[in-house]
Amino acid sequence: MSMVTLGVRNLMRSKPRLLLTAVLIGVPFFLLLAMQSIGQAVQKQADVLTREVNTVVQLRARGSMGHVNMTSQDRILPQDVLAKAGAIEHVVQVEPYLLAMAPITPPNFVMHVGLAPNALKRLESHGEAGNPRIIAGRDFAPADAGQDVAIIGQAYAKWAGIKAEDIGKATLTVDTTRTHPVIYAIDRPKRELRIVGMYASGYVFGDQQLFLPIDTFRSIYGTESGISWLFVRVDDVRNVAGVIQRLKENVGEVADILAPENAAAFTSSTSRNVIQLSRVGGALAIALMVVVVFFVLLMQVRERSREIGTLKAIGASNKGVTTQFLAEAVGLTLLGGLFGLVLFKFAGEALTGRLFAIGIGPFLPSQYKPLFDSLAVGSDISFPLVGSVVLTALMAAVLGSAYGVWQATKLSPLEAMKDE
Amino acid sequence: MNEAVQASATSAIRLVGVSKSYRKGGETVHALSDVSLDIGERGMVAIVGPSGSGKSTLLHMMGGMDEPTEGDVIVAGQTVNRLSQQELTRFRRQTVGFVFQTFNLIPNLTALENVALPMEFNGVPKAARLARGTSLLERFNLGQRLKHRPRELSGGEMQRVAIARAVANEPRLVLADEPTGNLDSRSGQIVYELLREIARERTVVVVTHSEELAGLADRIIHIRDGQLLDAELADPRVSLATAGR
Repeated sequence: MSMVTLGVRNLMRSKPRLLLTAVLIGVPFFLLLAMQSIGQAVQKQADVLTREVNTVVQLRARGSMGHVNMTSQDRILPQDVLAKAGAIEHVVQVEPYLLAMAPITPPNFVMHVGLAPNALKRLESHGEAGNPRIIAGRDFAPADAGQDVAIIGQAYAKWAGIKAEDIGKATLTVDTTRTHPVIYAIDRPKRELRIVGMYASGYVFGDQQLFLPIDTFRSIYGTESGISWLFVRVDDVRNVAGVIQRLKENVGEVADILAPENAAAFTSSTSRNVIQLSRVGGALAIALMVVVVFFVLLMQVRERSREIGTLKAIGASNKGVTTQFLAEAVGLTLLGGLFGLVLFKFAGEALTGRLFAIGIGPFLPSQYKPLFDSLAVGSDISFPLVGSVVLTALMAAVLGSAYGVWQATKLSPLEAMKDE
Repeated sequence: MNEAVQASATSAIRLVGVSKSYRKGGETVHALSDVSLDIGERGMVAIVGPSGSGKSTLLHMMGGMDEPTEGDVIVAGQTVNRLSQQELTRFRRQTVGFVFQTFNLIPNLTALENVALPMEFNGVPKAARLARGTSLLERFNLGQRLKHRPRELSGGEMQRVAIARAVANEPRLVLADEPTGNLDSRSGQIVYELLREIARERTVVVVTHSEELAGLADRIIHIRDGQLLDAELADPRVSLATAGR
């Protein structure tokens, strides 16, 4: 019976108390994991945005937004720009997009975006970048090319009355004859698209798009050739300037060349704020854990002072007493960690968004509220995550039990006689 | 080696001019006043006195659980009040065994584990401590109770486990503070007989209120108001005491 075993067995003295303590420690653990998850999700989003924006150059027809039905902004790039840009050294990918606007009520508009099924779903309103995730249904597959299918943003879907559970069955009719103060009519037949997926982007206007295969787009709007936007991906950020120079030389007469670095900086600063807030939340969760361990251990020492005195009277050293209580504290925090992990695994995804809204939301500008619902937080239990839980448990056990253990080592063997 | 320590070479316990006082409610309380005493090897010594007379304080001094304000406490050749914390721990582990009025068994350990605990502190290998623990409990008629936890034992059984625990490391001295105080007379009698039995191999000092039980000891020391009144020699094997008055 080592002092470690004795400490661990002490945990089982009162099962209701053990359960309560595990919950009290497990909830902060869950908060910590949730905050980590939020931080990681935002970081991932920021990384993607930064990478996309910083190494990607956008081309549009000179002096035009490139939307096929926007008044005075409807000039698009000639189709051969695609091949010319793709031939430049250090260009690793070219992605053509076609864009059209569609009116919605109240007088506003949404964006229809034609793209290759495997292309990045870019958000027109947010630096032409994005990382939307599918929240219902499925993503595009190669077989969707030319099919009457679409993936809809959650805000657009809400306007259209399409619910997540309807995805796969719901349809949306594209009517090119409808107009708006800045949208002109195109006399083409209506087309009914089957909605196969719904996405969320985390940005206010980003969720108001409809993605459809680019061939389908051409068929609906009668745009047989040409490109609204061409995204040119460069192999390394250091080669961007050289590629821009070559683009100017090759297609500069017909294209505006945009490198939207401001969007990257904007995204990074917002992400940094969210990550910092999530770290503060994580630190508070650890502090809460330490406080719980502190009070539980102090209570244990006070309740068991006679027993500690007895152990000392029969030959236990201060080192042994310390080992016993540390083992007890580590056992408690590990159990709490396990509880937190289980809670995170099964309720993490559902609760983390709420936590984000309550804990971080109030500190963010109002336009970021949609992040609460669409942030791609994960609840996967990975080996590094378990490792971080164990390390945190050990740290919380040592910090939280330090005062209680010190009190225990100060007790005299005479405590054994306390009630006599 | 000074005179006191030299003299203690033939004594299990030697107290030289021991006083203990402490402050309570702004007043100085003298728990022990200039007590000198010799207790020899082996035999059972009873310390008898009314509540507050200082008998428990005297016992605590002998066990290295309390320090005198003045004087020296020499047990088995070691001046207890001059030992470091580490040495005191080793002293409590190897030289003395304690028996408490309220048994003080560790509630979530079995009888055998309770007995084995001091041996673990003393570095005895697991197999050896389990064998000795089992042997002791069988000797004390608790062979059927090895795996029982304290709450499953009667008061008398718990105290017998506590005595087995006290002698587990084969200490030279066993100190018992009112060991029958929480027992009925039958169980108390059994516990006393057991203490007498183990006193054949070592010195057993028992603090008690009961003159009747004290009468079974080899020697009785009376104490009142922190001072020894007399010392009665009940067994020639026990050395003559010097009462400090």
